[in-house]
Amino acid sequence: MAESIYRALRDGALEGELAPALTIKDSVASPFALQVFSHVISQLFSSILAGKSQSRGLVVVSFSRSPSFYLDLLKNKGTDVASSNKQIQILDCYSDPLGWKDQLAGSRNFTALSNEAMVSSNAIVFREVKHMDKLYNSIIELGKGLVGGGKIRFSIAIDSADEMLRHAPVSSVARLLSNLRSHDQISSIFWLLHSDLHEARVTAVLEYLSSIVASLEPSHQLANGQRGDLENFSLIKHNSKKGKFHVRFKKRNGRSEEVHIEQSGINFASLPSEGAINQGLVPKVQFSLQLSEKERIDKANVVLPFEHQGNGKPIQIYDGRRSLVDSKHERPVSAVENVQTNENCGSGEIIYYRDSDDEMPDSDEDPDDDLDI
Amino acid sequence: MAAAKTRTSTFSRNLSTAPPSHGPGLKCGPNGTVFLSSGIPDLDKILGGGFPLGSLVMVMEDAEAPHHMLLLRNFMAQGLVLGQHLLYSSPARDPRGFLGTLPSPAASKDDKSRERDPDQEKGLRIAWQYKKYFGENQLDGQRDGKHEYSNEFDLRKPLERHFINGPRIDCVSIQDSDLSTLRDRCATFLSQFPRNDGSISCAGRIAIQSFCAPQCAYSNMEWDMLSFIRSLKSMVRSSNSVAIVTFPPSLLSPSFCKRWQHMADTLLSVKAIQDEDKELAQLLTGYQDMVGFLNVHKVARINTQVPVILEATTFSIKLQKRRYLVLECLNQAPVDGSSGTSYGTSGGCSSSSKTGNLDF
Repeated sequence: MAESIYRALRDGALEGELAPALTIKDSVASPFALQVFSHVISQLFSSILAGKSQSRGLVVVSFSRSPSFYLDLLKNKGTDVASSNKQIQILDCYSDPLGWKDQLAGSRNFTALSNEAMVSSNAIVFREVKHMDKLYNSIIELGKGLVGGGKIRFSIAIDSADEMLRHAPVSSVARLLSNLRSHDQISSIFWLLHSDLHEARVTAVLEYLSSIVASLEPSHQLANGQRGDLENFSLIKHNSKKGKFHVRFKKRNGRSEEVHIEQSGINFASLPSEGAINQGLVPKVQFSLQLSEKERIDKANVVLPFEHQGNGKPIQIYDGRRSLVDSKHERPVSAVENVQTNENCGSGEIIYYRDSDDEMPDSDEDPDDDLDI
Repeated sequence: MAAAKTRTSTFSRNLSTAPPSHGPGLKCGPNGTVFLSSGIPDLDKILGGGFPLGSLVMVMEDAEAPHHMLLLRNFMAQGLVLGQHLLYSSPARDPRGFLGTLPSPAASKDDKSRERDPDQEKGLRIAWQYKKYFGENQLDGQRDGKHEYSNEFDLRKPLERHFINGPRIDCVSIQDSDLSTLRDRCATFLSQFPRNDGSISCAGRIAIQSFCAPQCAYSNMEWDMLSFIRSLKSMVRSSNSVAIVTFPPSLLSPSFCKRWQHMADTLLSVKAIQDEDKELAQLLTGYQDMVGFLNVHKVARINTQVPVILEATTFSIKLQKRRYLVLECLNQAPVDGSSGTSYGTSGGCSSSSKTGNLDF
């Protein structure tokens, strides 16, 4: 449930353990990560303001959106940002990440844009995104500025990890995130990731570094090829509003938990999880009590050696004692029936030798019927 | 009367050379190998005695679960308790912090069971006359011997400070250092335990945690990491020590993952368990207590070409009373759902201490 994510981030880190880290991952088929991210930020911030969470401040490291986006977002959700200077700070890596404006200003007396000043009470511009250790120091400084030193913790939201990976190699980003997680004053940390933009290894690295992975999947997988275009189109339309929210928790005791939620807009409605067992997990034990599909088909195809198969037709079973002439006549009859049922039969055969010719074929009568119990 | 025969057969063993006596924590095994304990008694039994000196153990982690840390903790604590030297390296900035989480040896449960025995004996004297043949002395010898070689660790009790602060521990952080520094540190550490014929005074243990973790600067240099592992393996083989390297296979490319697995003398892997997996719960007994799975892929065989074929390669990791790590064979659930027996207590009349067991 989205509730459990919120609870995990709110409860934060225990003494001596790494802070919980959440990756919000999406793909082109279901591109709702930003909405989820905004939802998580606003929920966490309101709990910080209410004092219900372990962390006392929030640092937003914003690469892909302007700081005013976040301030407006929080204002729309009803939280009063102007008076909450002490609870939120934004590290602005969006306006001038590589320090070009400074260089331009220096060389041509270019006046900087004035709208930066409007948000300066909450946002600080950071100009050296290529240096992850400087970014680390700035984040920690900003956080300490919010909550002071000592034991008080703060949370970090990174929007987005993709942009960080554009500027710095994976190992530096990984080092930054793991050092942040192991810092004493960090309560929780979460980031956004668009999985289509990266190689599989990079996504695997970020999932390795996080303790909760929330991935957004389309609620209906689009089929390739066979389906007509009309069907695909309606699925795409459907996917543009709804998606599956799939969360994986890495618990402390080593058990992992999976949750599926259907999501439309930003309301999370719980969906019964399919609980598909991962066949790879179950080791090969000596005997299996389930039949595979092929085994089931074969089982259905076996002709049992009862003369009465229960389907209303009498059946003749080849019985070793009849003469060849008779059996030849009978063969076509039984062969026809057999062919119908045994088309896919493998090599299994049941051969039944009749005890004597006097034996009556199996009948429906129950010999116990005349018992009076 | 013929002279009293000292030999029962015409073949007699030539015991002119006494077997070399080894330091604490070492046990002689077949084919001239010497074992040291992994810190988990069940794992020692599965592997046929322990980790042979000179072998490289690799553990494949599961990114979802920290079970490899359990294996490492027991391994390191066992070495410290027995006075063996330890080199620990991890991708954290301060690896010493991990030493604080090492477990302490469990208080001997045998004392408690000893007190119970006389009372039980009186009641069962008629039925169980053969108890005298089991011999308290035999159990004694076994128990003391066991404690010199391996201990059960109580994961809830931290190891005493004096073990951790001793001079026998060296820690390296691999986050900032590069592979050649790490290789030099390993080489200097291993030079303390050269292998020569004769008795071994002390053994060394190397524990490298999460070797290809993404924080390390060299983590994308796959060939360099592979050549490090190869040189580590050769250094370890010519010294009296055992090295454990854990790594998350999901962060390596598949071909390198295979190469690393081939490098190992003993290959283990740990896997997480899904919580609330109803199908798995129906399939296996004792699902609720399981923390994870341990797979044994390869067992080291030094000085012999005969491979070890295990009865079972997958074991469930359980924490008994939340303190003691036990490994159990997986049992499919019979109709009544009784739980399986620990690998350590094999069959016989000793039943495992779990409730709901059928006693025949």
